[in-house]
Amino acid sequence: MDPATLEPRVQAIGRDLAAALPRGGKGPLRALDEKAMDYAAQDAELRAALFRFVDVVPACRSLDDLARHLTAFLDDVGDRPPSIEAAMRMGDSRAGRAALGGAAAVGVRRMAHRFIVGATPADASAVLRALWQSGVGASVDLLGEATVTSAEADRYAARCAEALDALAGVYAGLPARPLLEADGAGPTPRVNLSVKTSALTPLLRPDAPDLGREDAAGRLRPLLRRAHAAGAHLHIDMESFDSIEAVTDLVLTVLAEDEFAAGPSAGVVLQAYLRESPAQLERLLTWTREHQRASPLTVRLVKGAYWDHEVVEAVQHGWKPPVFEVKADSDRNFEALTRRLVEARAGGAPVRIAIASHNLRSVAHAIAANEQAGGGPADLELQVLRGLGDELQAALAATGRRVRTYCPVGDLVAGMAYLVRRLLENTSNESFLHDQATGAPLDELLAAP
Amino acid sequence: MSALAPFANEPLAELRRAPERERLLAALRELDAELPLRVPVWIGDGRREGDAIVSTDPGAPGRVVAVAAAASAAEVDAAVADARAAFPSWAATPAAERAAALLRAAALLRERRARLTALAVRECAKPWDQADADVCEAIDFLEYYARGAVILAERDAAGELLQPPGERNVLVHRPRGVCGVIAPWNFPLAIPLGMTAAALATGNCALLKPAEQAPGCGGELVRALREAGVPAGAVALLPGDGATGAALAAHPQVQTIAFTGSVPVGLEILRAAAEAPARGARHLPRVVAETGGKNCVIVDADADLDDAVPGIIGSAFAYAGQKCSAASRVLVHEAIADALLERLAGAAQVLVVGQAETFGTTVPPVIERDAQERVARYAELAARTGRLVAGGETAVPAEGWFRAPVIAADLPSDSPVLHEEIFGPLLAVERVTGVDEACDRVDALAFALTGGLYCRNPRTVEHVIARSPVGNLYVNRAITGAMVGRQPFGGNRLSGTGTKAGGPDYLLHFTEPQVVTENTVRHGLVV
Ligand SMILES: Cc1cc2nc3c(=O)[nH]c(=O)nc-3n(C[C@H](O)[C@H](O)[C@H](O)COP(=O)(O)OP(=O)(O)OC[C@H]3O[C@@H](n4cnc5c(N)ncnc54)[C@H](O)[C@@H]3O)c2cc1C
Repeated sequence: MDPATLEPRVQAIGRDLAAALPRGGKGPLRALDEKAMDYAAQDAELRAALFRFVDVVPACRSLDDLARHLTAFLDDVGDRPPSIEAAMRMGDSRAGRAALGGAAAVGVRRMAHRFIVGATPADASAVLRALWQSGVGASVDLLGEATVTSAEADRYAARCAEALDALAGVYAGLPARPLLEADGAGPTPRVNLSVKTSALTPLLRPDAPDLGREDAAGRLRPLLRRAHAAGAHLHIDMESFDSIEAVTDLVLTVLAEDEFAAGPSAGVVLQAYLRESPAQLERLLTWTREHQRASPLTVRLVKGAYWDHEVVEAVQHGWKPPVFEVKADSDRNFEALTRRLVEARAGGAPVRIAIASHNLRSVAHAIAANEQAGGGPADLELQVLRGLGDELQAALAATGRRVRTYCPVGDLVAGMAYLVRRLLENTSNESFLHDQATGAPLDELLAAP
Repeated sequence: MSALAPFANEPLAELRRAPERERLLAALRELDAELPLRVPVWIGDGRREGDAIVSTDPGAPGRVVAVAAAASAAEVDAAVADARAAFPSWAATPAAERAAALLRAAALLRERRARLTALAVRECAKPWDQADADVCEAIDFLEYYARGAVILAERDAAGELLQPPGERNVLVHRPRGVCGVIAPWNFPLAIPLGMTAAALATGNCALLKPAEQAPGCGGELVRALREAGVPAGAVALLPGDGATGAALAAHPQVQTIAFTGSVPVGLEILRAAAEAPARGARHLPRVVAETGGKNCVIVDADADLDDAVPGIIGSAFAYAGQKCSAASRVLVHEAIADALLERLAGAAQVLVVGQAETFGTTVPPVIERDAQERVARYAELAARTGRLVAGGETAVPAEGWFRAPVIAADLPSDSPVLHEEIFGPLLAVERVTGVDEACDRVDALAFALTGGLYCRNPRTVEHVIARSPVGNLYVNRAITGAMVGRQPFGGNRLSGTGTKAGGPDYLLHFTEPQVVTENTVRHGLVV
């Protein structure tokens, strides 16, 4: 597939999508808790103070404690706007701290609710049903604290099992949405759960992938059985590079077991920011050809959520980062992998493709490539994150595409790490959403990387 | 110096990549075919082999790793005499040339990295990641001190003293003479080489006595230094046990003793130093000592346990807790004590207790039977006078000096478990009402090596820093793994003489500073 011949379609689709973005929307970053984010965007020190504060909120024991932390973080900020000075002065009295702590807690909670759909799957049911009604599927992700013990891994697996049942209830009786319920390869489940290997085992060791893989497999198999019985899709998220071998081997070995040949539908994630992702995709494609399963393997293509972590870790250890260091390289590779995926599928590889990105250009390119390879709208799933991709989700649904929204579920304590990561990622000035929010012209946003 | 690139830490092996792991396993197979290594007493060009000292694999005590001669008192004398003879010319060698030899040694170690890593795995049961870090640190010390000595010489030459008219003031740092290096087994490459390299870089002659548990590693180090061009008289290898070390430390013609090990031995060395003049020494021996620790991690109520638990577990149990920097006490705010204890216990239970050569092992066997018994005694004491929240029940291999990790709580405040260095996989957890109580308890200790703090309030962090006596304080991270040039390492109080290995001031301890002031006024004229 020649990128040059694809380009006019990419531009046309990009423009259509841009035109379909909800009018008057404030953009996901604008909508964030107003002042705080404005400040954060203007000033690196304030941004750091805000994120450190959000991060510690669940560990604070009282409003007073909250206010003490907030003022301590703000203390480190050199140039304080007047309203921040006022907040600092509130920190001087007990009553002031209670008020400040209360206001801050409300603010953080509001922020969190944009990204996290509910404390439990049941709490989330209204949102999930509304999404479905508007033609949007979901993948639910159960947030939690890190797994460091076997008991925690067991608890996470139990929550996942319960979620599969609960979600079956949520989606029962909803009207048909043909675009979401079948593609060229056959029917696709309504219920879709994303799971994290690092939560399924406390034994992920970068230098001993077998240890974590085997331990996680013991908890993944019952979940796969449950998903199969419930007719649900199970997706294994990808995490940092330290665990990539364990996670990839886990998915590919367990799904290759005879028991799971008939189902459930399942998927893996490919991170385009990794220099070695082209080779990883070849490995996945070879695997799909060698292991015929009733449901083709879904490959969710992402850029990768751990970029800063990977770079810092590599620099600290003296390694070459496993990720590209120029954003455009990740974007270009994302497009190359997209084309490889649609071509492989056209060539008969039993694979389903999910493109997970908020980048209008990356998404438009994928749609164009899918068309070019002869895929229909149902054959390309476009995925977004709740709270960040809401407008793109609306535009995609409105233009007749297949969309799925990744919906984290969990309480505030469990969700804070997720929230901080999303805030950090999306106030980074290398992010598409940041460019979009700061008013970059459409031509630039749609330009080939 | 301009020719040398700035110091950078030797990159660790990227063990998360399978080919790297396979490379190391292959090196281990090659090494195994070569065992046992023969380690001589090596003075000048004379090598005497012997079998007085035998190191074995702590995970398979039947496997002999190295067979070494033990240097006698007469050999220590001979080595000192040889070093004294070589000293004038090594001392007069320009710093840049000495540095070049050390850098060639670094290059040799780099070439032999996989083999040396495997040797540390075998001889000291260091798990691969730990053994690899040990080799990297050894290389770092060579690179860092080589540069440091050149910088010191340049600074001396440039002159930093005030120069009023009519007066010329010069400060130089000269080598002290013969340096005895008495090394431990727990960093069988990095620590002996660090001390030796510091002595050599500054123009001293070094006599290395490796730990009796790790003569094989010590032998490889001296071999690399000699092959790199350090003159035969400038560095000698004196394998041996405590008697060899004592002879070296008490020798009246040894000007410097660099020591890393236990407090009692450190005190003995200091005592011997004080007595050296009475034995005929015309100097006061300088003692650079790194002794033990009783390292505490403070966990405040706002800590992120997702970080604190792995950080504490790694600090306490990696390499079976056999690091002077290892965590041995946790002082946790009562508000989160139960949650922390439960998670620590669960995290300790999933640690792999196994052979060092198996990737994934966190807790290898301890170094020897004595150590195994010592840790067992403390664990029994902890069980009897407190409560074990983890450990004791985990099965460990029958052969080899294994000890499963233990976490104890509710110990009486005067328990030896809380005050003595155990040097094994035993962690005690105590509840405190707040960071100030924790700081009080830390302050009550005689040791002050490393410390940790998990806390997210910057004001509290500042407060604890101000109250910490320790030499190395780590905030919101593990408390082990100091890196050359990044975390100059060394303790205060009873934990050492306050020197910082891998830091900018370390080399000064190996020098004799001299100031020369010359009057340049003649008949009222500045000449
Ligand atoms: C439904 C869904 C599921 C996801 N699941 C996962 C998952 O399982 N695992 C996972 O890792 N991520 C996952 N992500 C997150 C994803 O990887 C991206 O972090 C996020 O979507 C931002 O990428 P973008 O294309 O939307 O935005 P863009 O702004 O176009 O791209 C931002 C991304 O570019 C990359 N980048 C940033 N700076 C540089 C640089 N200097 N050099 C090179 N690359 C750079 C990073 O990957 C960064 O996230 C998921 C995202 C979605 C929408």
